[in-house]
Parts: sequence; structure tokens; C-alpha cells
Amino acid sequence: MPIEIPKDKWPGSIKAVTIGATAAEGGTRAKSITIGGQNTMPYLQFEKPTPNTPVIAIEIKSRKPEDWSPLLEKPWGEAMADPAEWAKKAEAAGADLLVLALTLEDTPDSAVKTVKAVLAASGLPLVVWGPGQAEKDNELLVPVAEAAKGEKVVLGVCEDKNYRTIVATAMANGHLVEARTPMDVNLAKQLNILISDMGLPMDRIVMDPTTGALGYGIEYGYSVMERLRLAALQGDAMTQLPMMVTPGFEAWKAKESKVGEGVPEAWGDWEARAVNWETLTAMALVESGADVVVLRHPESVKRVKAAIGELMAA
Amino acid sequence: MALSGIQIYKLLPQTNCKECGFPTCLAFAMKLAAKQVELSTCPYVTEESKTQLAESSAPPIRLVALKAGTEVKAGNEVVLFRHEKTFYNKPGIFVRFKASDSGIAAKAAAAHAYSVNYVGMDFVVDGFAIEADGDLGAAVKAVRGATDRPLVLIGDAAAIEPGLQACSGETVLIHAADASNWEAMAALAAKYKAALAVKADTLDGLVDLIEKIKAKGVEDLVLDFDTTQLGKWLAMSTQVRRLAIKQNFRALGYPVFAPAYAAADEGIFAAEAIAKYAGFVVLDKFVPENVYPLLVLRENIYTDPQKPIQVQPGIYEINSPKPEDPVLITTNFSITYFAVANEVEGSGLPAWLVVTDAEGMSVLTAWAAGKFDAERIAKAVKGFDVASKVSKKRVVLPGHVAVLSGELEEELPDWEIRVGPREAVDLPAFMKQALN
Amino acid sequence: MSKYIATRAIRGANALVTEAEVMLNKAIVEKGMDTPVSFPNTAYFLPTIYGMTGQAVETLGQLKPIVEQARSLLHLTPSESRWTPYLGETLDSGMSTLLAAEIIEAVRFVYGLQPEPMEGFTLAGGTSYGGQNGHNHLNGPIDDIQLRSWGIQLVDGRMPGFAAIVGCAKNNATAVKIVRELQRRNILTFLSGNVNGRSIIHQLQEEGVELGYDTYTVPFGTDTLSAIYALGFATRSALTFGGLKAGQAREILMYNKERVFAFVLALGEVDDLKYAAAAGAINYGFPVIADTVIPEILPTGVTTYEHVVSMPFDAIDGKDDMEKAERLVQKCIEIRGVKVKVSNVDVPVPYGSAFEGEVVRKADLRVEFGGKYSRCFEYLQMTKLDEITDGKIEVVGPDFSGIDAQGHMDMGIIIKVAGRNMQTDFEPVLERQVHYFVNGASGIQHVGQRDIAWIRISNNAADKGFDLKHFGTILHARFHEDFGAIVDKVQVTIVTDPALHAEWLEKAREAYDFRNKRLADLTDDKVDEFYSCTLCQSFAPNHVCVVSPERLGLCGAYNWLDCKASFNINPTGPNQPIKLGKMIDFEKGYWEGTNDYAKIGSHDVVQEVSMYSIMENPMTACGCFECIVMLIPEANGVMVVSREDTAMTPAGMTFSTLAGIAGGGLQTPGVMGVGKFYLISPKFISADGGFKRVVWMSSVLKESMADEFKAVCEREGDPDLLDKIADERNATTVEDLLAWLEAHEHPAMMMEPMF
Repeated sequence: MPIEIPKDKWPGSIKAVTIGATAAEGGTRAKSITIGGQNTMPYLQFEKPTPNTPVIAIEIKSRKPEDWSPLLEKPWGEAMADPAEWAKKAEAAGADLLVLALTLEDTPDSAVKTVKAVLAASGLPLVVWGPGQAEKDNELLVPVAEAAKGEKVVLGVCEDKNYRTIVATAMANGHLVEARTPMDVNLAKQLNILISDMGLPMDRIVMDPTTGALGYGIEYGYSVMERLRLAALQGDAMTQLPMMVTPGFEAWKAKESKVGEGVPEAWGDWEARAVNWETLTAMALVESGADVVVLRHPESVKRVKAAIGELMAA
Repeated sequence: MALSGIQIYKLLPQTNCKECGFPTCLAFAMKLAAKQVELSTCPYVTEESKTQLAESSAPPIRLVALKAGTEVKAGNEVVLFRHEKTFYNKPGIFVRFKASDSGIAAKAAAAHAYSVNYVGMDFVVDGFAIEADGDLGAAVKAVRGATDRPLVLIGDAAAIEPGLQACSGETVLIHAADASNWEAMAALAAKYKAALAVKADTLDGLVDLIEKIKAKGVEDLVLDFDTTQLGKWLAMSTQVRRLAIKQNFRALGYPVFAPAYAAADEGIFAAEAIAKYAGFVVLDKFVPENVYPLLVLRENIYTDPQKPIQVQPGIYEINSPKPEDPVLITTNFSITYFAVANEVEGSGLPAWLVVTDAEGMSVLTAWAAGKFDAERIAKAVKGFDVASKVSKKRVVLPGHVAVLSGELEEELPDWEIRVGPREAVDLPAFMKQALN
Repeated sequence: MSKYIATRAIRGANALVTEAEVMLNKAIVEKGMDTPVSFPNTAYFLPTIYGMTGQAVETLGQLKPIVEQARSLLHLTPSESRWTPYLGETLDSGMSTLLAAEIIEAVRFVYGLQPEPMEGFTLAGGTSYGGQNGHNHLNGPIDDIQLRSWGIQLVDGRMPGFAAIVGCAKNNATAVKIVRELQRRNILTFLSGNVNGRSIIHQLQEEGVELGYDTYTVPFGTDTLSAIYALGFATRSALTFGGLKAGQAREILMYNKERVFAFVLALGEVDDLKYAAAAGAINYGFPVIADTVIPEILPTGVTTYEHVVSMPFDAIDGKDDMEKAERLVQKCIEIRGVKVKVSNVDVPVPYGSAFEGEVVRKADLRVEFGGKYSRCFEYLQMTKLDEITDGKIEVVGPDFSGIDAQGHMDMGIIIKVAGRNMQTDFEPVLERQVHYFVNGASGIQHVGQRDIAWIRISNNAADKGFDLKHFGTILHARFHEDFGAIVDKVQVTIVTDPALHAEWLEKAREAYDFRNKRLADLTDDKVDEFYSCTLCQSFAPNHVCVVSPERLGLCGAYNWLDCKASFNINPTGPNQPIKLGKMIDFEKGYWEGTNDYAKIGSHDVVQEVSMYSIMENPMTACGCFECIVMLIPEANGVMVVSREDTAMTPAGMTFSTLAGIAGGGLQTPGVMGVGKFYLISPKFISADGGFKRVVWMSSVLKESMADEFKAVCEREGDPDLLDKIADERNATTVEDLLAWLEAHEHPAMMMEPMF
């Protein structure tokens, strides 16, 4: 007698969220991207097909980062000093989505200029991050949101302590927001509630439950993502959002990627190890339910993209 | 419905003989209810009770142990997701050699010698696989000259047997029995008391083979899904785990074999295998920069969510501190330690970091649980003889435990107690501005 | 509903609709049906009409059906003899007033009469109209760009709300004071209307107050009608930020009621038109406060709180007009529930949590209150909103300048708080915060609570000027900051006057007693909801504490009142009410509500939870429990192990081994993690026999809670019970334990079998 394959039937599913708008949708993107929509744990296609392919974003910055590993300068080179060029190169490297990180040196004018330049240089949907200081984020993201009206950009990052201005400007200009919480299911849920309480529809929120790099707390991020997905499938509406995580940022902060000298010999070749660090961090998160992984090295992008392709093909 | 510890207790002898290794029958019963121990560990349980306890009497996934000089165990898992309890037996990470390779002894020696330290733990490669594409007997001898760790032998029955003969007395995993060769492989496994990998690309195919092989008296089995396609492998591995744990489906209650050596991207496949229920992962070759991240990933995924990874308590030197540099206090929760160490290291500022034994908890959690109090901090400062290393007797407390400053003054009367920032990111600024 | 107001508003509306119709017809004749009408620089057409009716009006002709619609909302003026509720009619009239007002302003734009010309006036930033760039005219409606900029601030909370002032203040100085009070709180202010031709705009202009976008104080126009621009602004906010569509009238009104903290302040005499316009504002949930005598509409419903409040200016409590103006604004803010932030703690010493643990030693001591030589108490009392003044801090009696170095004196801190969401039950929860708040000041040490509080001020702090009143400053700021959700007003009195000290100490003690009794009386059967606590799910993902009056959280830190307060402060936080619903079994403690919650909160891992049993579906635990209770089957009872006890127990396991079994959010009958005060509750494993089942207990627990346990033993009818309970000094194995129980005739040995 054939075995009955155990299939979970879940009452809930993840909301489908669309990022970016084409000319027909009121923007100028070459295409928009839809993520989410799943009704199973990640890639369990024998239960139900995964409706939307998880995507890879490449992180670029508004000005050449000082603290990035020299290993990242190799592939990106001169383009790192020119966000528009960098955007083109990232698109060529296989990005589905661009993350443009503004910096503390940016002014509202420079931020708007850079965002416009990046939108002009690449047809990919865009995520824009403030530099990560509440006041500065708000100062930059409000004019950026107005300048990019209609493009359905993801504005980030909303955190417990600073979300209201970003959400307000997203509402006024038709954008989405990234809601980041520090590796905790209930905090993630709470922030989603707070944001949707302000009136932003749920299908315009992407949640970022935060993660750690391999060796630096990835197990917390991994389990929180599995739990968020489970809660969502069980019907908890406030967790039914696609997830976006930043393995690139985390992995390239780790000593294993950052440092080439004075480290144990057992760590092996620096460059290969660094790419492995980013790739494996991303892979573990893809397996635990990431819908967007933000990466930095083109080689990792290639490998993770191939892996997602295989997972989707089953 | 699974029985509770109390229900099980009623069926036990209630003699508290301690021969099972637990202090009381109730403690044993509770472990049994949690499916973390086998009923057979109790020497005095009655036949009648055994029947009643059948459901609870064995873990749903059989424990398969490969033994040589060291041991690698897989199986005995009780949950689908690590947060539900924990994953117990880390998948063995093996490196494959080829019998035809004349450099096999040297390669084995190098891989055997490999050891890498991660937060105070030393990781090594758990064992080795040898593909029988040449004289396996000779190859096993060569490898055995270099390492005493468990072996996986890959090939058909005829080619494997000389290998088994060369390492008699060990528990080896032989790979693999399929529809065409299962009889010979099963006979071999029975003869040499080896564990046997069973290979089929459907669950029905696996069950069919397993039933036949078990009839030949082979119990220690390992499943191979005959694929390295990430999506298909994930689906099958998940199905097997679910069947075992949620439906107690014994026919597939065995550890899973992950042939990373056959995958398009070995690292990626191995990562999936580690996260998604593999028991044995076999890599194509030994490359430190590939092995190290996998060993770390395995450690992370298999960390008990309620017993986080700890760092060795002690005094850590960051950026070669001199006697006049500041002394910072933190706990031995690995993530806390990394956060603090990375921030300070990244800033280039030298400091002495005193890692206190807080039973692996973060600052606030440890403080709330009474594991990070003035007494413990003082004990660490005294125990690690911080005074002999510095010229300025001043310690910086994490901002979250500012409330301890008064008590700590009592405990360390000749020290100046400073309260630092709450978050590690703010440490460099604090060190620059406030500690001069 | 006041018939008076209804009559005036309905009358006003009737008149205005007729006026609008006449004006429109005249304009159509003079200018033609197709003459464009619009407000400048907006994409929302005539916004109130657009929002409420869904009609995108672009020509004069298109206004005709709007007049009809306005008329259809009109009602007859109530007859002399009818006394029925008029709220519906009044609100309808209000709406027709708004439509008519917007029609009139639109027509005025056609004639170039809007924005209202005013010779010699210059806007400090404003909408640009063809060629007029802010000179010689008032502002008129707000443009879309400014709407978005302010809208974001209103939505994100930087701007607490907006005030629409209509009319004319008592005098120029009062007008200035009112506007300054609003500006100080970052409240956006719109100005319009007049009383006998004189407008607050004139008053402010005469005083040289800059008006315009830049000063957040916008002059719409000197007639009442221009107040329509405030509602156009509110309507557009809902369309822009609420994601609402034109024509969703109800949703737009609800959005404003719930999210836009606005109010109307009517200064001076209120005529029919003002009543009608006020009725329009009430539709949006904006209450109306008048500084003259008018009938009030107090029952709440359409607005969050009162609808119409009369606060006759001269009757306001205050020594001069300035104080009265301040109170008036304060009242407006209270009525609309506008929350104002107090951000910094203004004391002469550094303040922050980094100073919480500081100790003030004898050598550094300037003065102390409480302790061995003097008495110190703190008492927090809830009052009605109008009984106290927010921010008022009084010191009654001498300060400590007359006290010798290292001396002492009696002191009492009396905190009166008021708030719409405040409850008497929160008094102790808030009062306990005094300890943390006071300790945050550098050089101040606080120990204890209630009438055993003990506060020390160091020489250093005293030298820097720290004085008694600063306790009030700290408490006022911190209660607003941390408990703003339940506290609207805080007034602090520091008492050192001996007679008053004695009097208040007496009152405080009565209150403490009352609270103690209240706590004792607060039993599980007297409430209809328990609270959940999911604070620990970050590491025990499936664990939920169910906190009831008689069973506090297992960490010992959260009792039912704490949870209740926490829920009020943070409604989306970790403490949620669990409606008990149908009782299933009171003895074991099963309710439909608790079971349902256990399922949801544990993500389906736990199906049922018994509140009062360790043997059947016991509550799960995270890992924070103060004690572990575990069945000792041989002794027919349970043992209780304290977290502080590291020794071996009769179960053959130490606390840390036991913790592995008890924790993790799994239901393990026979083991339970609890808070130590649950041990003395009458509901402590009451389904299994209660406290008499305790056969063994860590000595540290026995000793530290000896008095409480003695009372429990008496309650259980066995006064010597405590002495019959073994501890680690006399039994660390089951055999020893049994021998002890036998020898001491422990009642558990004679009780029914536990299972």
C-alpha cells in the first residue's frame, strides 16, 4: 500500500506583496516584483506550489562605503563611487531588486538626486534605507518618498522607536515599508500591528525580523523566521507578511569575512570563505522562509539564485 | 495520544533503583514521555507494561551510531523545528576519498589533523567516506593509518567487502542498497554488523526495500533519496521526518544520508541538509574554507534554543590593551560577547573585556535570573586577577545593569565603578568620550 | 442632546443653505454654468464635498446638485413642545452647513473674494495665489504640499493635533496667550470667524504675532465660513493618509474621529451659524469648547469624549486672564484626549537609568528621609481630571536647609494623578514606579516603598541645587513619559510640615490598608477576565502565562493588576485580557476563555490549561519561575524548590536539572514552575489538595516567607503544618523524606492518593 504523504493544511497564508510599479501601474520600473503568497512552510511544493519566487536584492550605497571589505571592491570596483553605475552593475549581476542605502553624509537634496539617478539607471524595483538614525532617516526618506511617488518603493527601516514618519510618508506617496524588529516573534507582530493601525494596508508591509550571521546568532533569526511563518500559516493575520533579511550586511560584518590576516589557518582561503559565509547565511535563511535576501557579493548572488531556482523547480 | 510522565510512572516498577541512570522512576518516566530515552533502559519493566508503553517506548527515529575510535550518532530526534525543543544529534560531517587515489593516506592525515576553534569549542571532521573505485581493502588500511574516525564505504557489495574486512570490529556505514543489489548489501551488513544506507527516489521505494532488508535482520538503516536536487531532497526529508514524528511511522524512522559530494553546489546542498534533518553529510573533498562554515552552521542549528552557546569566562584582550586601558564587563552569552567584542574591535580602541560566567545568558536575562549580580562580577574581576593587569582600577558595567553599581562598589571597594551604555554599538563613543 | 443647540444649529443650517443657493444661482447667471470652480493647489477639488459626496466639482453648474444634497439633509427646527433626541438631526444639519459653506467659499473664489483680502497683511509663509504671494490677503485653504508635510507630522505624532479657533478672544493679550499655549505644544492652529466684526486674526495682527505656515498658525479668514477649510484639511488627510476614497463619508469621518486629534475652540458669543458649523465639526469627532455660557452636550459617542463643553472664560479658575487662557487650552487638550509629551527631566543633577544603582553612603550624605530616624512615605492617589493641575509641584513645610549635615527629616511625597484611562487599581502599580523614577537622579538613593520608603540626598546633589521640589519634577516628567497612556495629569505635593505630614501619613496608611484588603478580596471568581503574559516567548516560544488575581505570573514580577495596567498602557503588548467566558470546572480552574487562549498563545501546543492543578494540564513554564513544584509520588505530595536553592532535593535532582523538565513551554503533569507568592494563594494546587500537599520545601523559602506561610497553615486548619514540612537540612532522598513525614505526621500521608 503506498504511503500517504503527510500534508499540512493551513488555514492562513502569507500576503502577496508587490514591490515596484511599471508604467502601466503608475511608475517607471521595467517590471514589478511580487513576493509572498505562500500557504506552506518554505518550498514544500508537494503541499501546494510556491506561488512567487523569493528574490535577491543587492545592496548599494549612496556613496562609496569606507568600511566594506576590500573583497567587495574587487567585483564592484569604480562603480561603488557612483550609485547609478553600481545599480547597473548590480542588475547585470543578477539582482531582482536593489537596496539603496543612504548615508549620514546625505542631505535631502543629495538623497533625492541619488534615488532619481538610480531609478533612471536601472529598471529594477527599489528599496531605500535611511542611514539608520531616526531623525536622519525621517529627514531623508520623506523627500525621497515624494520624489519617487508612484514607484512603489520600499522605505526602510521602520523600527519600534521610529516608524510613524516613514509610514506616514509611505501612505501619502503610495510606497511600502520595511518593518524591522530584533529577532522576536511578538515584537515583529507588535510592530506590524502598530503600522497597520496607522492605516497602511498589510500588503504594503514587508517585515524584517533581523538575523545574525552564521556563527553570530543565525540560529535566532532562523527560528524566529520559522516561527513567524508557522504563526502566519496557523492564521495569525499580523504575521502574514513576506520577510526580508540582510545576510549580506550580517555576514560581511563577521570577522570570518572581513579579515584576511591574523586569523586561524583552519579558516582556509579568505575570499572563498567570505563568499561561503554570505552564501550559507543566506541559504539557511532562504530555507527558513526569507522572501527577500539582501546580498553584497555577486558570487553569493549567483549561488543563492541558483539554489532558489532549484527549490522552485521541484 | 502520548502518555504523560505520570501515566508512564504508574507502569514502572517505582523502586527508584537508579539503574537506568536517572535518580527516580518519575524522572525516568518524564524523560520517556519526552521521547528522550528508550524504555529498554529500565531493566525491571514488566512485559505487560512494555505492551502498554509501546507507543512511548522508543524514539520515533532510530538512533544509528557509527563506531570506530570515535563515534558518530544520528537519529533520536523528536521535533520538526528546532524551536520546539532542540535538535539533538548533530549530523556527522564526512569527507569522501577515492580508493583509486594514491595520495589517500596523506589526504586523510591532513583532514584528520584539521581542527578549528569556534567560541572555545574545537571542531573536527567526524569521519571519512571511501568510494570503492579501486582496492578498497588497501584504501581502508591507508586511511586507518591516518585516522581512527568512523567510515562510510561506498560501492557495490563485492567491492565493499574487502573494505569491511579491513576494519572489522567497527560499525561502518555501507552505501548503498537499492532495488538491484539490496540482497547482497543486506547480507553484507548483517555479516559485518554494519549500518546500511538504503537508496530509492520515492518513499514507497524506500519502504519496500526497508521491509525486505529488515527481514534479513539488518536494523541500523540510513535513508538516501537518490537525489541532490534541493527542492526534491527537502520535500522527501521533510516527509520522512513528519511521518516519523507526527505519525510515529516506524518504517521510515531512520536517519538521512546527504550525498553532498554529488551536488551541483556542495556547500549549498550541505547547508540545506544540515538545516533540514540530515544525519550524515558527505563532502566531496576536504577544503577548510568550505568545511569551517558548515561546522559552524551545524553548531548553530543544533544549539539548544534554551541553552545558548557560551563563551569561556575570562579576561579577553581586545586590540592589545595596555595597563591604562579600560576594563569592560559583560556576560558569557556568545551573542552578547560577539556584540561587545566586535564593536570594540571595530573601533580600534584597546580594552580588557571581562567575560563573567552568567550561565550563558544575555545581560538582562542573566540579571533577571540572578546569574549576573555584583557578587559574580566581583568574583570574575578577582578570579581573573584583573588588578594585576591594569594600572587604573576602574570597571565599566553594561548600562542595563546600572542598578548593580552600588552593590558592586561594596564588593570591589577599591575600584571605581562606571556605568556604560546599554547597547554595545554605543561603546566606542562612550569609550572615547566618557573614559578619558 | 440640548434642544437649544439643536434648534440653533438647525436654524443656522437652514439659513446657510438658502444663502448658498441664492449665491450660486446668482453666480451661474452672472458667470455661466461652465465657469470653473476650484480651491488653489489641490488635487482634491472642493475637498469636503469631494470626500463626503464623492463628486469632483469643477464648474459652477456641478454645484447645483450639491445644494440639493445639502438641502436634503436639513430638518425642521424643533417645535416648542417636542423633547426628543436631536443628535441625528443636528449632525445632519451640521453636514449640510459644511457643504453649503464650501459652496459659498467656492463661489467667492470665482469672484476673487477668497482668499480674503486684508490690506497691509503679510503671511509668514502660505499658499501662493496668482500674483499675490502672501501680501494683502489671508491664507484661505491649505495647499496639498503643506497638507502632506503637516499630515505626516500629525500622523507620526510629532504634531499632537490641530485646533480650529473661531471668533474673538476676550482681549488681545488673551488671544496671544492662547495661541502661544497651542504653539508651545506644537499644536497646529487654524484661525477664522469674528464676533461683531472683530476676529482673533485682527487681535493677533495688532500684537505683531506672525501668522502663516511658518508659525503653524494659519489665518483662514475673518468670517465663520472660512472654518470650512479646517474640515477640508481633515477630509484630505483621510484621503491622503487613510487610503480612503472620495465618497466614503462614514469612513472619512471615523478616520478623523479616531486619528486626527482636533478640536474647535469657539471664542466669544456663539451665533446660529457657529452652532451649525460646530455641529458640522462634531460629525468629524471634533469636540467644541466655548469660552462663553452655552448648553453642554456631555454624553459621549460621536466624539471620543464630550461633544460641546462650555467653559465661560471669566469663571475659569485662575488669578488673571493669562492663567485662565492657559487652563482653557489645557481643558481643550483634555477633552480631545490630545497627548502631550514631556521629554526631559529638568533637575540640576544628571538623570538617567545609569544612576539607578547608585548608593549614597553616610560620608556623602546631606540629608535622609526615612530609615531609622525619620519617617518617609509615598502615596499615589487617583483624582478626577478637574481636581488637579498638571505640573503643579508644591512643597508644604520647610526644606532641608535647616537640617545639619547627615541629618534627617520627615517627608511625604503625595502624587495625585488623573487620566481618562486611569483606574484606582493602577494606584499601587504606579506608586511602585516611584522607586525607579527617583533612583534615576544622580546622587539620590531610594529604597523601599509606601511608608517604609527611605530616600537619601548626597552632598554632591545638594550642592548642585537638588531640592525637595525636584522629586516632583522627576515624577511629573516620568509618569507622563512612561505612563502617558493612562495618566493625563500629575500633581505632586511634598510634605514636610509636621502636622500635615502626620495627617497625610494617616491617609496613606488607610489607603495601603484598603489596597491590601482589595487585593485579598480580589479573587478569581470576582473578575471576568484574566491576563496573558507572552513576555517570555522570545526564548520559550510556546509558553503563555495565564495570570489571575489569585495566581501571579511564575516569574513573580507580574500580578493581575500589573498585567491590567500594562494592557492599558500598551494595548498591543504582551499582556492581553483573556475573557473567561463559560466556566467549565471551577475546582480545577477551566474556562472556555482560558482554554481557547492557551491554544492560540501556545500555537496549538497546549490544548487545555488547568489553573489550579499540577496533575492535570498544568500551566506551562518558560524558565523564569521563582520555584519549581514537583510531585513526589511516594510521599503523596509535592516538593517546592526555590531558585536560590542549589542543593539536592528528594526528587534526586537539583533545581537546575528540574528546570530543564519544568521549562520550555511544554505541559508536564507533575511538574510546574511558579511564582513564590502563588504558594500562599488559596488557589495553590487547590484541585489537588492545596498547601497541605507540600511535604518538602527549600529552607530559604520557608524562612524568607515564614509569616506568610504561618498564616496559610492557619487558614488550612493545621497551624503546625510548616514544621511538618521537610527541607534540605533533613531530607535529600525519598527515603529520608518518608521517614520525616512519618515522624511528623504530615497530613499528606493521610490524604487521598494524588493519582
